[in-house]
Amino acid sequence: MSTPDTSYYMNLGYTFFFIVMSIYVASLYIRTRNLKRDLEMLESMQEDENKKKKKS
Amino acid sequence: MNTKPTRTNDDGTHPSSFARHPSLFKATFAIVSKDLSAEFRSFELISAMLVFSLLVIIIFNFALELDIKVREAVNAGVLWTTFAFAGTLGLNRSMAVEKDRGCMDGLLLAPVDRSAIYFGKALSNLAFMLIVEAIVLPVYSLLYNVNLFRLDLIAVIILGSIGYTAVGTLLATMSVQTRMREVLLPILLFPVAIPVLLSAVKASGGLLTGSVFAEIAIPFNILVVYDVIFIAIAFMVFDFVVEE
Amino acid sequence: MQPRPIALKILDVVSIIVLAISAYLALFFAPTELVMGDVQRVFYFHIGTAWVGLLGFVIAAIAGISYLVTKNMLWDRFEVAAVEVSTVFFFITIVLGSVWARPAWNTWWTWDPRLTTAAVTELIYVAYFMLRTGIEEPEKRARFGAVYTLLGGISAPITFMVIRLFRTIHPIVVGSASGTQEKMGMTGDMKIAFFFALFAFTVIFVDMIWHRLRLSDLQDKVEQLKLKVSM
Repeated sequence: MSTPDTSYYMNLGYTFFFIVMSIYVASLYIRTRNLKRDLEMLESMQEDENKKKKKS
Repeated sequence: MNTKPTRTNDDGTHPSSFARHPSLFKATFAIVSKDLSAEFRSFELISAMLVFSLLVIIIFNFALELDIKVREAVNAGVLWTTFAFAGTLGLNRSMAVEKDRGCMDGLLLAPVDRSAIYFGKALSNLAFMLIVEAIVLPVYSLLYNVNLFRLDLIAVIILGSIGYTAVGTLLATMSVQTRMREVLLPILLFPVAIPVLLSAVKASGGLLTGSVFAEIAIPFNILVVYDVIFIAIAFMVFDFVVEE
Repeated sequence: MQPRPIALKILDVVSIIVLAISAYLALFFAPTELVMGDVQRVFYFHIGTAWVGLLGFVIAAIAGISYLVTKNMLWDRFEVAAVEVSTVFFFITIVLGSVWARPAWNTWWTWDPRLTTAAVTELIYVAYFMLRTGIEEPEKRARFGAVYTLLGGISAPITFMVIRLFRTIHPIVVGSASGTQEKMGMTGDMKIAFFFALFAFTVIFVDMIWHRLRLSDLQDKVEQLKLKVSM
């Protein structure tokens, strides 16, 4: 009995694996970046508030 | 050595351990009777569950082309799917009513053990589910000419319902406090209740296709084990889902 | 958020390296399986991701209990990280299992205990996220999440055992399910690829959780700051 050539499915599987992993890593990166931006913005807002409080 | 001071009744007898915690038993009983009497006044919940169950059975009739041979194999599945969906309806309504009318807050303020609330609600939910099942069984028997009045089948149905409502009451308490409210309960409940539903269907199916009780001992035991485990867990964890 | 600690940077590099080695072992080093051909190679990554998926599930349940006992939000953040990373890996497991099934048994899905339990577990994860999304207060979210991971953590193994017990009564739809195939005699080289995959994915799993934890910390900080600033 000869071994069937199922390399198509093997490629399918591995491609799927790498795509999903890349998407997840990318999502972690994007979410981190967005949160860092939010943090910066909030911190500057907080500084403005503190300055206003000091003036008044 | 008896170091703990024990109460004695007025006539000198010792109280049983049950009576040493009268509040848990009495509180549970009070909650169950409150729910049952409220329901028996209006029959809102049971009628909704009942009509829904009948509709589901009818839909199944169209969804599955049931000739006699096929039907034998799926009777159990159809029944339990119906019970699961109707049960969800009942659980949702039961807990939502508590929240909406502010009864939950009142119950929480009362000086009773929180577990009384859990047991009370779970028992009344179970009662509603059993009542509906008691009506659906004869109707199903009539519609499909199959004898469902067997003690062992009824035992399986009771055990399955106990497991389902034990977990369902806990999860309904949680889901009613989320933004999605009632919609979330089936999503939370079904994956976790799969052992119950699976075992119940296996056991009921076995009985309905002619097996002796001994042959369905395995799923039957699983039902018992699941019930015990999850009643224990729900009871221990209920405090965490009703804190304010 | 502090920059990546050196340990994490090293772990990142190590993760990539072990992933590459594991892929090499699976794709080239291991011999081609006689009956199924090359598709059997997905088995190594299928097992690797399944292992970490289950590990994460257990970790999540433990984190849940720890939160309920200690009320320390660190456990909550850990629980979320574990569930999220496991969800991704388990999803890969399920799809790889399906890809393997197609040429091997001519079906995209088999209802054998392992795949079915995997699907149910994945649904528990998804339900977990839907539960959390529906709750505003962080403390309540943590409490409810912990309770649900506990329920799921106990229910899923029971599901697996139950389905396995009933497999003998239930008609087996397609040939022999993956159970018998996996016990196939693995040659020495296959075993190397197999065990290395388990090791590699454990490393990658730890790396991912660490990154996800840092994200959780950042999320918490932003949430707290939002409350302060808006007051």
